[in-house]
Amino acid sequence: MTEAKNIQATSKEEETTVKPNLRAIFVAILTVAFLALFSPGLASAEDLDISRKESYDQIQAWAKEPVDTAKFKKDPPYRVGLAAGYLSNSWILFAAQYVRYEVSLHPEVKELLVTDAGFNPAKQAADIEDLLSKNIDLLLFWPVDEKAIMPALQKAADKGVVTVNIGYNFMHHPAVTANAYVNQWEQSTEAARRLAESLGGKGRIFAMLPIAGSSAAVVQLAALKDVLKQYPNIELASVEYGDWNRAKAKQLTENLLQRFDRIDGVFSPAGQMSMGVFEAFDEAGRLDELIMSPGDEYNGWAKLVKRTGAWGGVTSGLEVAREAVKHGLAILKGEPVSNAVIVQTRYMTPEETAKLYQAGRPDDWWPAELPEAWLPK
Amino acid sequence: MRERIRAIFLGGGGIHTALAIIIVLATAFVPEFRHPDNIVNVLNQSATLAVLAIGQTFVIAAGLIDLSVGQLMSLVAVLISDLMAGRSALALPAFCLGIAVGTSIGLVNGVLLNILRIHPLILTFGMLSVLQGITFLYTDRSIGQVSPEFLRVASGSFAGIPFSLVIVIVLASTAHGALQRTRFGWHLQAVGANEENARRAGINTRGIKLVAYGISGLSAGLAGMLLAGRLGTGYPNAGSGFELDAIVAVVLGGTSLAGGRATIPGTLAAVLILAIASNMLNLLEVPAFGQMVVKGFIVIAAILLTQRRAAAV
Amino acid sequence: MKHVALDLNFGRRMLQEHAVWFVLLLLLAVAALVSSAFLRPSYLLNTLRQAAPVGITAIGVTLVMILRGVDLSVGAVISLAAVLCAVLMDGQAHNIAPAIALTCIAGAAIGLANGLLVAFNRISPFILTLGTAIIVYGLTQIQSGGTARGIVAPGFREFLNGRIGGVLPVLSLALILMALLGIFLQSTTRFGRSLYLIGSNPDAAELSGVPIRRVMVLAYTLSGFCAALGGIALLARTGVSSTYAGRGYEFDVLAAVVLGGTTFAGGRGGVGGTIAAVLVLFIAFNLVSLAGLQFPAQLLVKGAIIIVASAAYEAIKR
Repeated sequence: MTEAKNIQATSKEEETTVKPNLRAIFVAILTVAFLALFSPGLASAEDLDISRKESYDQIQAWAKEPVDTAKFKKDPPYRVGLAAGYLSNSWILFAAQYVRYEVSLHPEVKELLVTDAGFNPAKQAADIEDLLSKNIDLLLFWPVDEKAIMPALQKAADKGVVTVNIGYNFMHHPAVTANAYVNQWEQSTEAARRLAESLGGKGRIFAMLPIAGSSAAVVQLAALKDVLKQYPNIELASVEYGDWNRAKAKQLTENLLQRFDRIDGVFSPAGQMSMGVFEAFDEAGRLDELIMSPGDEYNGWAKLVKRTGAWGGVTSGLEVAREAVKHGLAILKGEPVSNAVIVQTRYMTPEETAKLYQAGRPDDWWPAELPEAWLPK
Repeated sequence: MRERIRAIFLGGGGIHTALAIIIVLATAFVPEFRHPDNIVNVLNQSATLAVLAIGQTFVIAAGLIDLSVGQLMSLVAVLISDLMAGRSALALPAFCLGIAVGTSIGLVNGVLLNILRIHPLILTFGMLSVLQGITFLYTDRSIGQVSPEFLRVASGSFAGIPFSLVIVIVLASTAHGALQRTRFGWHLQAVGANEENARRAGINTRGIKLVAYGISGLSAGLAGMLLAGRLGTGYPNAGSGFELDAIVAVVLGGTSLAGGRATIPGTLAAVLILAIASNMLNLLEVPAFGQMVVKGFIVIAAILLTQRRAAAV
Repeated sequence: MKHVALDLNFGRRMLQEHAVWFVLLLLLAVAALVSSAFLRPSYLLNTLRQAAPVGITAIGVTLVMILRGVDLSVGAVISLAAVLCAVLMDGQAHNIAPAIALTCIAGAAIGLANGLLVAFNRISPFILTLGTAIIVYGLTQIQSGGTARGIVAPGFREFLNGRIGGVLPVLSLALILMALLGIFLQSTTRFGRSLYLIGSNPDAAELSGVPIRRVMVLAYTLSGFCAALGGIALLARTGVSSTYAGRGYEFDVLAAVVLGGTTFAGGRGGVGGTIAAVLVLFIAFNLVSLAGLQFPAQLLVKGAIIIVASAAYEAIKR
């Protein structure tokens, strides 16, 4: 009993002597922190606002700038690394296969190493560091996040490695040697415009977008809003983030169907999610209300378009991955190239879209000029 | 036979033997591993998890758990990056903010635990959702930029020694000292071993649990800042998944999930093993899709080899 | 006087053991204030359909947690099951039955592996099932090759996602049947009684000759089996079989099981409470999304609901 009391007594002493010091420090830290929170903000570093139309003229201008390929010129054989931010959707998987296929057509490439960061920016940074340890000459990548990848890219640039960004976001930075870019603004405005016209300029719609915060989502929403400025009688009732996930898109749509007793149209450029939206309307028996925006070349969407004969698609620019390889190798060989190779997208009528449907393939599939051996397994 | 193999591992602290083995394997079979640049890389890559796992060691040793730290890391990374916007002048205030936010939220966890008396797993899982919501209300995309000092600390070195290594060693020694040589540390492990007995012995169990969560939050704040330094910016999902890695590291390292024993060196060894394993997989060009399976097998093997015959939790 | 005291005690005990049902009724009352649509039986049946993947999986995890274990690999098993089932079906209707059967066997096999590892090594199931989850996710990744592989056969989704007689959704019926099976298992069989005994007092169980290891192995096997069924249900609902389909489910399932009364201490609770808790969670989420809250706010509310509901539950029990 006394022992317990002693322990208690001494621990209390310890606590009383230790506590004020810790407390004082903590309070000091809190004070500085509070002051920090309310400090006036200065303009931050140069940031391209991809939600503004003007940015895309800027991108076109940048794309034409020449690259100083002389400083990158090397003799073959070359080692190429692909640091994929993620390999978890079919489009990106096809893109990766396009890279593999294109590399196989170039005998001057000795080896291709592929890493997958699984949407983890810290892992992508580690992957790039590891690829650099393997002495690659060319680094192809699509970032988990354009800003979070910068310190790792800087390391690559410092080592004289050519870096090429693939995909839907344009990176203008000394550490990014070149871009292989799909102009998503065009793609999204086209889809938005077609939807608005199909609606006859009026009605209530909602938007089904990819992962919140991704450049795809930001651009698609901005493009939609830009187009809607010319259609004041169209109400954008809700913006949902389906994460390119058909199941999630369906669930979100089910909720919206419960909230609103009439929905006239849906803006959903990603065919994969459009399927989920369609199913939700179908199961609720409200298919007759629905007009959808054009989707893309997703096989499941093509199947749907074939069935309904409506809505069409906009190409998604899968070839951009092949162009990236060609562009990067050209830089290594010292050929004169510009900053970016841009892959244009275009609208496809419902008939064209329906023709893309490949019956023997899963829904989660894309039309590609890949020989059988190179298709995803 | 199995018992003999086990004896080798459990004898000298299984995890350290496992670490020695994996280092030998890596050095022998992976040529790029030995390169000093790569060693520095591995140390930098593992520093974030190491800091987080140190905090989680305290919590687990107290018989609790903290699932919210990954998201707390993300929140801190976002806040400090947004504040700094690349300016060195705000580096110190940002640092203070990171510590303040981390520790405060950790303490909130502790207070809620003591008042509401919910199971720590459920409480911190709920907190994880809450923090996710807060983070994404603040921003849905990467925001802000860290100052050059943060970048240097996270990835730079001095005389060949990475700054991050120094940070980890300092934190680890402090933690180890606190756990093994102070009354607080003994009381913490006593609470973890048997809370009821500890309470009867006069230990302020509620206070201990509160401080344990405070430490967990503090380490999440520090880890979040280190992560922001690695990425250069505040990415709202940056810390996602780190909490489970930290828990695995702590348990593999020898701290019992049921609470009681705590070992900081064990935790560090486990963190290193995980980092070296990832590094090896990349350098050995193991295909991207096979890496997860291999990692899983390594974890299971480590579990089977290093876990004592403790009662299941 | 004695009668009154007895009644009060009985009432309190009822409240303690079945707290989650009271929470559910309370929630339904709140929901009814928002919209009378919530009281329609079709709404409840629809919610059960939405909740089928989580609910069916939670039944298996409940059994494991009664005996003081835990299974964190269920999310991974759900993903694997969805992918495997779709791949095996390969678009042919006559493949449906064998595909489902093989998928269930695969899930049970993983559960068996978990059970054997836990029972014969006495390692913390928390860590162990975390480890097997990584392996299973990895296997799923390899199987799926990153895409949502496999072709769902015609008729599979239409049937499972449809309604019997235009009223009763098949998946809801499946969930109800599984729940009844689970309740039957836990209440009437010797296996079920062993679960409770081992969970509440392992030493006493051992002394009274209960084959602890066998019971553990069976419990984990059932958990894997239920998770596989959950994955098939997910495939039916969504037609999606991607690598990460089931990610995060393990913690939602865990929250439901604990809210339902089966705590980590083991030896109490049961499948009935779990189903009620699953309903509570899904109705709450529905309410939240109906309120039109943005996604981050929904996360906030989800976390708050879990904390508040658990706290309320703990308060009721005292």
